[in-house]
Amino acid sequence: MSAPVTAAPSQAPAVRPRLALESGGLSLQNPILTASGTFGYAREFESLTELGALGGVVTKGISPKPRFGNATPRICETAAGMLNSIGLENVGVEGFRTEKLPYLKTLGTRVVVNFFGVTFDDYVSCGESLASMDGVDALEMNVSCPNIKAGGIEFGTDPRVLGELVRACRPVIRKPLWIKLTPNTSDIVALARACADNGADGLSIMNTITGMAIDARTRRPKIATVFGGLSGPAIKPIALRMVHQVFRAGVPLPISGIGGIQDATDVVEFLLAGASTVQVGTQNFADPDTACRIVRDLADLLASDGVTDVRELVGGLRT
Amino acid sequence: MRYFEARVAKNESLSGGYFRLSLAGCHPLGASRPGQFVMLRGDWERDPLLPRAFSLLSVGADGEAAILAKTVGRGTALLERAAAGARISVLGPLGTAFPAPSPEFIDLLVGGGVGIPPIYLQAAVAARAGLASRSEILYGGRRTSDLVLLDEMKAFGVSLHLATEDGSTGRHGRVTAELEARLATHAGKPVRIMACGPNAMLWAVGRIARERDIPCFISVEEQMACGIGVCLGCAVPARSRPFRYVCKDGPVFDAADILDVARGDPASQKPPSTPQTGCLT
Repeated sequence: MSAPVTAAPSQAPAVRPRLALESGGLSLQNPILTASGTFGYAREFESLTELGALGGVVTKGISPKPRFGNATPRICETAAGMLNSIGLENVGVEGFRTEKLPYLKTLGTRVVVNFFGVTFDDYVSCGESLASMDGVDALEMNVSCPNIKAGGIEFGTDPRVLGELVRACRPVIRKPLWIKLTPNTSDIVALARACADNGADGLSIMNTITGMAIDARTRRPKIATVFGGLSGPAIKPIALRMVHQVFRAGVPLPISGIGGIQDATDVVEFLLAGASTVQVGTQNFADPDTACRIVRDLADLLASDGVTDVRELVGGLRT
Repeated sequence: MRYFEARVAKNESLSGGYFRLSLAGCHPLGASRPGQFVMLRGDWERDPLLPRAFSLLSVGADGEAAILAKTVGRGTALLERAAAGARISVLGPLGTAFPAPSPEFIDLLVGGGVGIPPIYLQAAVAARAGLASRSEILYGGRRTSDLVLLDEMKAFGVSLHLATEDGSTGRHGRVTAELEARLATHAGKPVRIMACGPNAMLWAVGRIARERDIPCFISVEEQMACGIGVCLGCAVPARSRPFRYVCKDGPVFDAADILDVARGDPASQKPPSTPQTGCLT
Protein backbone atom coordinates (compact mmCIF):
# COMPACT_ATOMS: atom_id res chain seq x y z
CA MET A 1 0.00 0.00 0.00
CA SER A 2 1.45 3.37 -0.97
CA ALA A 3 1.56 6.27 1.41
CA PRO A 4 -0.72 9.24 0.71
CA VAL A 5 1.02 11.99 -1.20
CA THR A 6 -0.11 14.61 1.26
CA ALA A 7 -1.13 13.86 4.78
CA ALA A 8 -3.69 15.77 6.72
CA PRO A 9 -2.14 17.59 9.70
CA SER A 10 -3.73 15.20 12.16
CA GLN A 11 -2.01 12.27 10.41
CA ALA A 12 1.44 13.84 10.29
CA PRO A 13 3.98 11.55 11.90
CA ALA A 14 4.85 12.52 15.43
CA VAL A 15 8.29 14.04 15.81
CA ARG A 16 10.64 11.30 16.89
CA PRO A 17 12.02 12.03 20.34
CA ARG A 18 15.66 13.00 20.46
CA LEU A 19 17.73 10.17 21.96
CA ALA A 20 21.21 11.56 21.24
CA LEU A 21 23.11 13.04 24.15
CA GLU A 22 26.50 13.90 25.60
CA SER A 23 27.45 11.93 28.66
CA GLY A 24 30.67 11.17 30.45
CA GLY A 25 32.76 12.92 27.81
CA LEU A 26 31.18 11.02 24.91
CA SER A 27 28.56 11.97 22.39
CA LEU A 28 26.19 9.04 21.98
CA GLN A 29 23.42 8.42 19.43
CA ASN A 30 21.26 7.10 22.27
CA PRO A 31 21.68 6.27 25.95
CA ILE A 32 21.62 2.47 25.58
CA LEU A 33 24.90 0.62 26.05
CA THR A 34 25.69 -3.00 26.82
CA ALA A 35 27.33 -3.92 30.12
CA SER A 36 30.82 -5.35 30.45
CA GLY A 37 30.99 -9.13 30.68
CA THR A 38 27.60 -9.66 29.09
CA PHE A 39 28.44 -8.70 25.53
CA GLY A 40 31.86 -10.25 24.90
CA TYR A 41 33.76 -8.15 22.39
CA ALA A 42 30.55 -7.45 20.41
CA ARG A 43 31.44 -9.70 17.48
CA GLU A 44 29.67 -12.58 19.24
CA PHE A 45 26.44 -10.63 18.61
CA GLU A 46 27.14 -9.81 14.97
CA SER A 47 24.41 -12.04 13.57
CA LEU A 48 22.11 -11.68 16.58
CA THR A 49 21.38 -7.95 16.71
CA GLU A 50 22.04 -4.58 15.01
CA LEU A 51 25.24 -3.47 16.68
CA GLY A 52 25.32 -0.13 14.89
CA ALA A 53 22.02 0.89 16.48
CA LEU A 54 23.41 0.84 20.01
CA GLY A 55 24.55 3.90 21.88
CA GLY A 56 27.70 2.00 22.71
CA VAL A 57 29.20 -1.26 23.77
CA VAL A 58 31.26 -1.81 26.91
CA THR A 59 33.70 -4.63 26.31
CA LYS A 60 34.66 -7.52 28.51
CA GLY A 61 37.12 -6.38 31.19
CA ILE A 62 40.69 -6.30 29.90
CA SER A 63 43.72 -7.02 32.09
CA PRO A 64 47.38 -6.46 31.22
CA LYS A 65 47.86 -10.17 30.43
CA PRO A 66 45.32 -12.79 29.27
CA ARG A 67 43.40 -14.66 31.96
CA PHE A 68 41.78 -18.07 31.72
CA GLY A 69 39.12 -17.62 34.36
CA ASN A 70 37.91 -19.56 37.38
CA ALA A 71 37.19 -23.21 38.08
CA THR A 72 33.76 -24.62 37.18
CA PRO A 73 30.84 -24.55 37.77
CA ARG A 74 30.89 -20.81 37.19
CA ILE A 75 27.24 -19.80 37.00
CA CYS A 76 23.86 -20.67 38.39
CA GLU A 77 20.41 -19.20 38.03
CA THR A 78 18.73 -17.65 41.07
CA ALA A 79 15.32 -16.09 41.60
CA ALA A 80 14.94 -13.50 38.80
CA GLY A 81 18.71 -13.42 38.38
CA MET A 82 21.93 -15.33 38.21
CA LEU A 83 25.21 -15.72 40.06
CA ASN A 84 28.47 -15.79 38.18
CA SER A 85 32.08 -16.29 39.01
CA ILE A 86 33.73 -16.34 35.60
CA GLY A 87 37.00 -14.94 36.90
CA LEU A 88 37.42 -12.03 34.50
CA GLU A 89 38.59 -14.29 31.71
CA ASN A 90 39.87 -12.09 28.86
CA VAL A 91 42.35 -11.82 25.99
CA GLY A 92 44.65 -9.24 27.64
CA VAL A 93 45.74 -5.85 26.28
CA GLU A 94 47.68 -7.14 23.27
CA GLY A 95 45.05 -9.71 22.37
CA PHE A 96 42.47 -6.96 22.53
CA ARG A 97 44.51 -4.68 20.25
CA THR A 98 45.18 -7.30 17.60
CA GLU A 99 42.15 -9.60 17.73
CA LYS A 100 39.20 -7.58 18.99
CA LEU A 101 39.62 -3.86 18.34
CA PRO A 102 39.76 -3.97 14.51
CA TYR A 103 36.21 -5.32 14.44
CA LEU A 104 34.93 -2.96 17.14
CA LYS A 105 36.18 0.01 15.10
CA THR A 106 33.86 -0.92 12.23
CA LEU A 107 30.64 -0.86 14.24
CA GLY A 108 29.71 2.79 14.09
CA THR A 109 28.90 2.86 17.77
CA ARG A 110 30.86 4.01 20.80
CA VAL A 111 33.45 1.59 22.13
CA VAL A 112 34.00 1.75 25.88
CA VAL A 113 36.72 -0.60 27.09
CA ASN A 114 36.39 -1.99 30.59
CA PHE A 115 39.73 -2.69 32.29
CA PHE A 116 41.15 -3.88 35.59
CA GLY A 117 44.28 -4.99 37.37
CA VAL A 118 45.39 -6.46 40.64
CA THR A 119 47.91 -3.71 41.51
CA PHE A 120 48.02 0.06 40.98
CA ASP A 121 50.73 -0.46 38.36
CA ASP A 122 48.48 -2.90 36.50
CA TYR A 123 45.68 -0.37 36.35
CA VAL A 124 47.96 2.43 35.20
CA SER A 125 49.74 0.44 32.49
CA CYS A 126 46.58 -1.27 31.26
CA GLY A 127 44.63 1.99 31.18
CA GLU A 128 47.42 3.85 29.43
CA SER A 129 47.81 1.19 26.72
CA LEU A 130 44.09 0.91 26.05
CA ALA A 131 43.51 4.67 26.03
CA SER A 132 46.26 5.11 23.43
CA MET A 133 44.50 2.83 20.94
CA ASP A 134 42.71 4.41 18.01
CA GLY A 135 39.09 3.25 18.07
CA VAL A 136 38.77 3.19 21.85
CA ASP A 137 36.34 5.99 22.73
CA ALA A 138 36.40 5.74 26.53
CA LEU A 139 37.55 3.52 29.36
CA GLU A 140 35.51 2.05 32.18
CA MET A 141 37.52 1.06 35.25
CA ASN A 142 36.41 -2.08 37.10
CA VAL A 143 37.33 -1.53 40.73
CA SER A 144 35.68 -4.68 42.09
CA CYS A 145 38.98 -6.60 42.12
CA PRO A 146 40.86 -7.61 45.25
CA ASN A 147 43.84 -5.42 46.04
CA ILE A 148 46.60 -7.94 46.71
CA LYS A 149 48.69 -5.45 48.69
CA ALA A 150 45.73 -4.67 50.96
CA GLY A 151 45.01 -8.29 51.81
CA GLY A 152 42.50 -8.82 49.04
CA ILE A 153 40.05 -6.06 49.94
CA GLU A 154 38.36 -4.74 46.80
CA PHE A 155 39.97 -1.53 45.47
CA GLY A 156 36.56 -0.03 45.07
CA THR A 157 35.28 -0.38 48.63
CA ASP A 158 37.55 2.17 50.33
CA PRO A 159 37.04 5.79 49.21
CA ARG A 160 40.66 6.71 50.00
CA VAL A 161 42.14 3.79 48.00
CA LEU A 162 39.67 4.34 45.18
CA GLY A 163 40.54 8.04 45.03
CA GLU A 164 44.25 7.24 44.88
CA LEU A 165 43.67 4.69 42.12
CA VAL A 166 41.69 7.15 40.01
CA ARG A 167 44.32 9.84 40.62
CA ALA A 168 47.11 7.45 39.58
CA CYS A 169 45.38 6.52 36.33
CA ARG A 170 43.96 9.90 35.37
CA PRO A 171 47.09 11.54 33.89
CA VAL A 172 47.89 8.64 31.54
CA ILE A 173 44.32 8.11 30.30
CA ARG A 174 43.67 10.92 27.85
CA LYS A 175 40.18 9.74 27.06
CA PRO A 176 36.96 9.78 29.03
CA LEU A 177 37.34 7.67 32.16
CA TRP A 178 34.31 6.09 33.80
CA ILE A 179 34.51 4.26 37.11
CA LYS A 180 32.25 1.23 37.63
CA LEU A 181 31.35 1.23 41.29
CA THR A 182 30.81 -1.84 43.41
CA PRO A 183 27.59 -2.05 45.41
CA ASN A 184 29.40 -4.04 48.10
CA THR A 185 29.74 -0.95 50.26
CA SER A 186 27.88 0.88 52.98
CA ASP A 187 28.46 4.33 51.45
CA ILE A 188 28.13 4.56 47.68
CA VAL A 189 28.13 8.37 47.81
CA ALA A 190 31.59 8.50 49.43
CA LEU A 191 32.95 6.26 46.67
CA ALA A 192 31.32 8.37 43.98
CA ARG A 193 32.78 11.55 45.49
CA ALA A 194 36.26 10.00 45.60
CA CYS A 195 35.99 9.43 41.84
CA ALA A 196 34.72 12.94 41.16
CA ASP A 197 37.42 14.54 43.31
CA ASN A 198 40.17 12.74 41.42
CA GLY A 199 39.22 13.51 37.87
CA ALA A 200 36.86 10.78 36.67
CA ASP A 201 34.49 11.69 33.83
CA GLY A 202 31.61 9.39 34.70
CA LEU A 203 30.27 6.67 36.97
CA SER A 204 28.79 3.30 36.12
CA ILE A 205 26.46 2.20 38.90
CA MET A 206 26.55 -0.68 39.65
CA ASN A 207 28.57 -3.89 39.39
CA THR A 208 27.20 -7.23 40.68
CA ILE A 209 26.35 -7.82 44.33
CA THR A 210 28.25 -10.58 46.10
CA GLY A 211 26.00 -13.54 46.81
CA MET A 212 25.91 -17.30 47.09
CA ALA A 213 23.67 -20.25 46.28
CA ILE A 214 23.61 -23.69 47.87
CA ASP A 215 22.43 -27.04 46.55
CA ALA A 216 20.61 -28.45 49.58
CA ARG A 217 20.70 -31.99 48.18
CA THR A 218 24.45 -32.18 47.65
CA ARG A 219 25.16 -29.67 50.44
CA ARG A 220 27.62 -27.94 48.15
CA PRO A 221 27.81 -24.35 46.90
CA LYS A 222 26.35 -24.06 43.41
CA ILE A 223 29.43 -22.31 42.03
CA ALA A 224 33.02 -23.38 42.52
CA THR A 225 34.23 -20.18 44.15
CA VAL A 226 31.38 -20.36 46.70
CA PHE A 227 30.64 -16.62 46.32
CA GLY A 228 29.78 -14.92 43.06
CA GLY A 229 28.24 -11.82 41.57
CA LEU A 230 24.45 -11.55 41.55
CA SER A 231 22.86 -9.87 38.54
CA GLY A 232 19.53 -9.63 36.76
CA PRO A 233 16.13 -8.12 37.64
CA ALA A 234 16.55 -9.27 41.25
CA ILE A 235 19.05 -6.45 41.85
CA LYS A 236 17.28 -3.64 40.00
CA PRO A 237 15.78 -1.98 43.10
CA ILE A 238 19.23 -1.82 44.69
CA ALA A 239 20.77 -0.34 41.54
CA LEU A 240 18.02 2.29 41.31
CA ARG A 241 18.58 3.19 44.94
CA MET A 242 22.33 3.60 44.48
CA VAL A 243 21.97 5.65 41.29
CA HIS A 244 19.51 7.92 43.03
CA GLN A 245 21.62 8.30 46.19
CA VAL A 246 24.60 9.47 44.14
CA PHE A 247 22.46 11.74 41.97
CA ARG A 248 20.62 13.26 44.93
CA ALA A 249 23.88 13.91 46.76
CA GLY A 250 24.92 16.16 43.89
CA VAL A 251 28.06 14.26 42.92
CA PRO A 252 29.03 16.17 39.75
CA LEU A 253 29.43 13.19 37.40
CA PRO A 254 27.04 11.65 34.87
CA ILE A 255 25.84 8.19 35.80
CA SER A 256 25.44 5.12 33.62
CA GLY A 257 22.82 2.99 35.35
CA ILE A 258 23.23 -0.80 35.42
CA GLY A 259 21.22 -3.52 37.12
CA GLY A 260 18.48 -5.79 35.80
CA ILE A 261 17.38 -3.69 32.84
CA GLN A 262 15.08 -5.67 30.56
CA ASP A 263 12.94 -3.14 28.72
CA ALA A 264 12.40 0.52 27.90
CA THR A 265 10.34 1.11 31.04
CA ASP A 266 13.28 -0.04 33.14
CA VAL A 267 15.43 2.49 31.26
CA VAL A 268 13.02 5.30 32.02
CA GLU A 269 13.14 4.36 35.70
CA PHE A 270 16.94 4.60 35.75
CA LEU A 271 16.84 7.96 33.94
CA LEU A 272 14.32 9.31 36.43
CA ALA A 273 16.54 8.12 39.29
CA GLY A 274 19.37 10.19 37.86
CA ALA A 275 21.22 8.12 35.27
CA SER A 276 22.05 9.75 31.92
CA THR A 277 22.79 6.49 30.16
CA VAL A 278 22.13 2.83 30.97
CA GLN A 279 23.81 -0.48 30.33
CA VAL A 280 21.90 -3.67 29.54
CA GLY A 281 23.61 -6.66 31.13
CA THR A 282 22.37 -10.12 32.02
CA GLN A 283 19.33 -9.78 29.76
CA ASN A 284 21.71 -9.98 26.77
CA PHE A 285 22.08 -13.67 27.68
CA ALA A 286 18.34 -14.27 27.65
CA ASP A 287 17.77 -12.35 24.43
CA PRO A 288 20.77 -11.05 22.50
CA ASP A 289 18.60 -8.46 20.70
CA THR A 290 17.40 -6.83 23.95
CA ALA A 291 19.49 -3.65 23.81
CA CYS A 292 18.47 -2.87 20.23
CA ARG A 293 14.85 -3.60 20.97
CA ILE A 294 15.06 -1.18 23.89
CA VAL A 295 16.45 1.55 21.57
CA ARG A 296 13.40 1.12 19.34
CA ASP A 297 10.92 0.81 22.19
CA LEU A 298 12.36 3.77 24.10
CA ALA A 299 11.65 6.13 21.21
CA ASP A 300 8.08 4.85 21.03
CA LEU A 301 7.62 5.08 24.77
CA LEU A 302 8.90 8.66 24.95
CA ALA A 303 6.77 9.68 21.98
CA SER A 304 3.66 8.23 23.59
CA ASP A 305 4.43 10.18 26.76
CA GLY A 306 5.00 13.42 24.84
CA VAL A 307 8.69 13.53 25.72
CA THR A 308 10.68 15.13 22.91
CA ASP A 309 14.19 14.73 24.32
CA VAL A 310 15.42 11.86 26.46
CA ARG A 311 17.50 14.27 28.52
CA GLU A 312 14.29 15.72 29.98
CA LEU A 313 13.90 12.58 32.04
CA VAL A 314 17.29 12.55 33.76
CA GLY A 315 16.74 13.02 37.47
CA GLY A 316 13.07 13.75 36.90
CA LEU A 317 11.85 11.67 39.80
CA ARG A 318 8.86 13.28 41.53
CA THR A 319 9.25 13.04 45.28
CA MET B 1 20.46 -16.02 13.61
CA ARG B 2 17.77 -14.66 15.90
CA TYR B 3 15.39 -16.07 18.46
CA PHE B 4 12.28 -17.12 16.61
CA GLU B 5 8.86 -17.91 17.94
CA ALA B 6 7.61 -21.47 17.81
CA ARG B 7 4.39 -22.97 19.14
CA VAL B 8 3.94 -26.11 21.15
CA ALA B 9 2.45 -28.66 18.75
CA LYS B 10 2.30 -31.52 21.21
CA ASN B 11 3.54 -32.22 24.72
CA GLU B 12 3.67 -35.93 25.51
CA SER B 13 4.26 -37.48 28.90
CA LEU B 14 6.54 -40.49 28.69
CA SER B 15 7.58 -42.91 31.40
CA GLY B 16 10.06 -42.03 34.13
CA GLY B 17 9.02 -38.38 34.31
CA TYR B 18 10.24 -37.68 30.79
CA PHE B 19 8.29 -35.59 28.35
CA ARG B 20 8.63 -34.89 24.65
CA LEU B 21 7.91 -31.32 23.60
CA SER B 22 7.18 -30.97 19.89
CA LEU B 23 7.35 -27.46 18.47
CA ALA B 24 5.82 -26.18 15.25
CA GLY B 25 7.38 -23.34 13.28
CA CYS B 26 10.98 -24.50 13.63
CA HIS B 27 11.98 -24.12 9.98
CA PRO B 28 15.24 -22.36 10.97
CA LEU B 29 16.30 -25.66 12.54
CA GLY B 30 15.96 -27.51 9.23
CA ALA B 31 19.69 -28.04 8.72
CA SER B 32 20.38 -29.17 12.31
CA ARG B 33 22.69 -32.13 12.86
CA PRO B 34 22.68 -34.67 15.72
CA GLY B 35 24.30 -33.23 18.82
CA GLN B 36 23.40 -29.63 18.07
CA PHE B 37 21.20 -27.83 20.56
CA VAL B 38 18.68 -25.05 20.97
CA MET B 39 18.04 -22.45 23.66
CA LEU B 40 14.36 -22.39 24.65
CA ARG B 41 12.31 -20.00 26.70
CA GLY B 42 8.59 -19.57 27.30
CA ASP B 43 6.66 -16.42 28.15
CA TRP B 44 8.10 -16.44 31.64
CA GLU B 45 8.44 -12.70 32.34
CA ARG B 46 11.37 -12.16 34.71
CA ASP B 47 11.56 -15.51 36.41
CA PRO B 48 13.01 -17.90 35.46
CA LEU B 49 15.28 -15.45 33.73
CA LEU B 50 17.39 -17.52 31.40
CA PRO B 51 16.65 -19.74 28.42
CA ARG B 52 17.32 -23.49 28.73
CA ALA B 53 19.62 -25.54 26.50
CA PHE B 54 18.33 -28.79 24.97
CA SER B 55 19.85 -31.17 22.46
CA LEU B 56 17.53 -31.73 19.54
CA LEU B 57 15.66 -35.03 19.51
CA SER B 58 14.16 -34.70 16.06
CA VAL B 59 13.82 -32.17 13.27
CA GLY B 60 11.27 -32.66 10.51
CA ALA B 61 11.02 -31.19 7.03
CA ASP B 62 7.63 -29.79 8.08
CA GLY B 63 9.26 -27.39 10.53
CA GLU B 64 8.41 -29.48 13.55
CA ALA B 65 11.23 -30.12 15.99
CA ALA B 66 11.21 -31.93 19.32
CA ILE B 67 13.18 -32.07 22.51
CA LEU B 68 13.12 -34.62 25.31
CA ALA B 69 13.33 -33.42 28.89
CA LYS B 70 12.75 -34.36 32.48
CA THR B 71 11.71 -31.85 35.11
CA VAL B 72 14.67 -30.90 37.26
CA GLY B 73 13.90 -27.27 38.08
CA ARG B 74 11.57 -24.37 37.45
CA GLY B 75 12.31 -24.01 33.73
CA THR B 76 11.73 -27.65 32.89
CA ALA B 77 8.64 -27.69 35.14
CA LEU B 78 7.16 -24.85 33.10
CA LEU B 79 8.01 -26.60 29.83
CA GLU B 80 6.42 -29.82 31.08
CA ARG B 81 3.19 -27.90 31.66
CA ALA B 82 3.32 -26.02 28.35
CA ALA B 83 0.08 -26.68 26.49
CA ALA B 84 -0.40 -27.01 22.75
CA GLY B 85 -0.30 -23.56 21.20
CA ALA B 86 1.96 -22.05 23.89
CA ARG B 87 4.62 -19.68 22.59
CA ILE B 88 8.24 -20.76 22.94
CA SER B 89 11.23 -18.63 21.88
CA VAL B 90 13.90 -20.71 20.17
CA LEU B 91 17.50 -19.99 19.16
CA GLY B 92 19.40 -22.51 17.10
CA PRO B 93 20.77 -24.74 15.81
CA LEU B 94 23.79 -24.10 18.04
CA GLY B 95 27.08 -25.87 18.63
CA THR B 96 28.90 -28.85 17.16
CA ALA B 97 27.53 -32.19 15.97
CA PHE B 98 28.50 -35.85 16.00
CA PRO B 99 30.39 -37.03 12.90
CA ALA B 100 28.10 -38.09 10.07
CA PRO B 101 27.38 -41.82 9.80
CA SER B 102 29.88 -43.55 7.52
CA PRO B 103 29.98 -46.97 5.90
CA GLU B 104 33.60 -47.21 7.02
CA PHE B 105 32.74 -47.41 10.72
CA ILE B 106 30.53 -49.25 13.13
CA ASP B 107 29.12 -46.49 15.35
CA LEU B 108 28.29 -47.39 18.94
CA LEU B 109 25.84 -44.74 20.10
CA VAL B 110 25.78 -44.65 23.89
CA GLY B 111 22.98 -42.85 25.72
CA GLY B 112 22.42 -42.55 29.42
CA GLY B 113 19.16 -41.27 30.90
CA VAL B 114 18.27 -37.81 29.68
CA GLY B 115 21.25 -37.93 27.28
CA ILE B 116 19.35 -39.98 24.70
CA PRO B 117 18.19 -37.18 22.31
CA PRO B 118 21.34 -36.76 20.16
CA ILE B 119 21.76 -40.56 20.14
CA TYR B 120 18.20 -40.96 18.88
CA LEU B 121 18.75 -38.30 16.22
CA GLN B 122 22.08 -39.79 15.13
CA ALA B 123 20.39 -43.18 14.71
CA ALA B 124 17.59 -41.56 12.71
CA VAL B 125 20.11 -39.87 10.43
CA ALA B 126 21.99 -43.16 9.97
CA ALA B 127 18.75 -44.88 9.07
CA ARG B 128 17.91 -42.20 6.51
CA ALA B 129 21.38 -42.63 5.01
CA GLY B 130 20.84 -46.39 4.66
CA LEU B 131 23.43 -47.03 7.37
CA ALA B 132 21.22 -48.42 10.14
CA SER B 133 23.12 -51.69 10.01
CA ARG B 134 26.34 -49.79 10.84
CA SER B 135 24.93 -48.22 14.03
CA GLU B 136 24.02 -49.66 17.41
CA ILE B 137 22.29 -47.85 20.25
CA LEU B 138 23.45 -48.68 23.77
CA TYR B 139 20.98 -47.17 26.19
CA GLY B 140 21.13 -47.24 29.96
CA GLY B 141 19.06 -45.99 32.87
CA ARG B 142 18.40 -46.70 36.51
CA ARG B 143 15.24 -48.70 35.77
CA THR B 144 12.96 -49.68 32.91
CA SER B 145 10.86 -46.52 33.17
CA ASP B 146 13.98 -44.43 32.42
CA LEU B 147 14.22 -45.96 28.95
CA VAL B 148 11.92 -44.12 26.56
CA LEU B 149 11.07 -44.10 22.86
CA LEU B 150 12.34 -47.68 22.47
CA ASP B 151 9.84 -48.65 19.77
CA GLU B 152 10.75 -45.61 17.69
CA MET B 153 14.43 -46.39 17.92
CA LYS B 154 13.80 -50.02 16.96
CA ALA B 155 11.90 -48.73 13.94
CA PHE B 156 15.07 -47.00 12.72
CA GLY B 157 16.45 -50.49 12.12
CA VAL B 158 19.48 -50.05 14.36
CA SER B 159 20.19 -52.71 16.95
CA LEU B 160 19.28 -51.67 20.48
CA HIS B 161 21.21 -52.85 23.55
CA LEU B 162 19.71 -51.90 26.89
CA ALA B 163 21.03 -51.79 30.43
CA THR B 164 19.37 -50.91 33.73
CA GLU B 165 21.03 -50.53 37.09
CA ASP B 166 18.21 -52.43 38.80
CA GLY B 167 18.30 -55.19 36.19
CA SER B 168 14.65 -54.73 35.24
CA THR B 169 15.47 -54.53 31.51
CA GLY B 170 18.49 -55.63 29.50
CA ARG B 171 21.88 -55.99 31.09
CA HIS B 172 21.90 -55.69 34.88
CA GLY B 173 24.35 -52.84 35.41
CA ARG B 174 25.63 -49.75 33.74
CA VAL B 175 25.56 -49.02 30.05
CA THR B 176 29.37 -48.81 30.13
CA ALA B 177 29.45 -52.57 30.87
CA GLU B 178 27.30 -53.09 27.79
CA LEU B 179 29.72 -50.90 25.84
CA GLU B 180 32.66 -53.07 26.87
CA ALA B 181 30.75 -56.16 25.79
CA ARG B 182 29.90 -54.69 22.38
CA LEU B 183 33.49 -53.59 21.88
CA ALA B 184 34.63 -57.15 22.59
CA THR B 185 32.18 -58.41 19.95
CA HIS B 186 33.52 -55.92 17.41
CA ALA B 187 37.20 -56.39 18.32
CA GLY B 188 39.43 -55.68 15.36
CA LYS B 189 36.76 -53.80 13.39
CA PRO B 190 36.77 -50.04 12.80
CA VAL B 191 34.52 -48.70 15.57
CA ARG B 192 33.61 -45.21 16.73
CA ILE B 193 31.86 -44.28 19.95
CA MET B 194 29.43 -41.37 20.32
CA ALA B 195 27.96 -40.74 23.74
CA CYS B 196 25.66 -38.44 25.66
CA GLY B 197 24.59 -38.78 29.26
CA PRO B 198 25.58 -37.88 32.80
CA ASN B 199 29.13 -36.60 33.19
CA ALA B 200 30.17 -39.66 35.19
CA MET B 201 29.05 -41.88 32.31
CA LEU B 202 30.87 -39.75 29.75
CA TRP B 203 34.05 -39.90 31.78
CA ALA B 204 33.81 -43.72 31.97
CA VAL B 205 33.04 -44.00 28.24
CA GLY B 206 36.01 -41.76 27.44
CA ARG B 207 38.29 -43.94 29.57
CA ILE B 208 37.10 -47.12 27.85
CA ALA B 209 37.75 -45.55 24.44
CA ARG B 210 41.17 -44.27 25.45
CA GLU B 211 42.26 -47.69 26.74
CA ARG B 212 41.38 -49.21 23.37
CA ASP B 213 42.47 -46.28 21.20
CA ILE B 214 38.99 -45.92 19.71
CA PRO B 215 37.72 -42.56 18.38
CA CYS B 216 35.20 -41.22 20.86
CA PHE B 217 32.92 -38.20 20.70
CA ILE B 218 30.98 -37.03 23.73
CA SER B 219 28.16 -34.52 24.03
CA VAL B 220 28.71 -32.61 27.26
CA GLU B 221 26.18 -30.80 29.43
CA GLU B 222 27.06 -27.77 31.55
CA GLN B 223 25.16 -24.81 32.98
CA MET B 224 24.92 -22.05 30.38
CA ALA B 225 23.24 -18.68 30.46
CA CYS B 226 23.47 -17.61 26.82
CA GLY B 227 24.33 -20.50 24.47
CA ILE B 228 26.27 -18.15 22.20
CA GLY B 229 29.75 -18.01 23.70
CA VAL B 230 29.36 -14.84 25.73
CA CYS B 231 28.68 -15.65 29.37
CA LEU B 232 31.61 -18.12 29.58
CA GLY B 233 29.66 -20.08 32.16
CA CYS B 234 29.83 -23.42 30.35
CA ALA B 235 33.61 -23.82 30.58
CA VAL B 236 35.03 -27.32 30.86
CA PRO B 237 38.72 -27.95 31.58
CA ALA B 238 40.47 -29.34 28.52
CA ARG B 239 43.84 -30.59 27.33
CA SER B 240 44.14 -28.42 24.22
CA ARG B 241 43.38 -25.19 26.09
CA PRO B 242 42.77 -24.46 29.76
CA PHE B 243 39.05 -24.33 29.11
CA ARG B 244 36.72 -25.11 26.26
CA TYR B 245 33.12 -23.94 26.05
CA VAL B 246 30.22 -26.34 25.71
CA CYS B 247 28.11 -23.90 23.69
CA LYS B 248 30.70 -22.86 21.07
CA ASP B 249 33.43 -25.52 21.05
CA GLY B 250 30.89 -28.27 21.87
CA PRO B 251 28.59 -29.70 23.02
CA VAL B 252 30.18 -32.54 21.01
CA PHE B 253 33.90 -32.86 21.78
CA ASP B 254 36.62 -35.36 21.07
CA ALA B 255 36.56 -37.19 24.41
CA ALA B 256 40.35 -37.14 24.58
CA ASP B 257 40.30 -33.35 24.94
CA ILE B 258 37.94 -33.03 27.89
CA LEU B 259 39.44 -33.48 31.34
CA ASP B 260 36.65 -33.00 33.73
CA VAL B 261 33.36 -34.38 32.57
CA ALA B 262 32.87 -36.22 35.84
CA ARG B 263 34.53 -33.61 38.04
CA GLY B 264 36.12 -36.81 39.29
CA ASP B 265 39.15 -36.92 37.05
CA PRO B 266 42.16 -36.38 39.35
CA ALA B 267 43.85 -34.33 36.60
CA SER B 268 41.09 -31.76 36.82
CA GLN B 269 41.47 -31.22 40.54
CA LYS B 270 44.73 -29.34 40.29
CA PRO B 271 44.46 -25.57 40.22
CA PRO B 272 44.44 -23.84 36.83
CA SER B 273 47.87 -23.04 35.45
CA THR B 274 47.53 -19.27 35.61
CA PRO B 275 47.77 -17.40 38.89
CA GLN B 276 44.33 -16.62 40.20
CA THR B 277 43.59 -13.39 41.94
CA GLY B 278 40.25 -14.24 43.40
CA CYS B 279 38.38 -11.84 41.11
CA LEU B 280 34.86 -13.10 41.21
CA THR B 281 33.07 -11.91 38.16
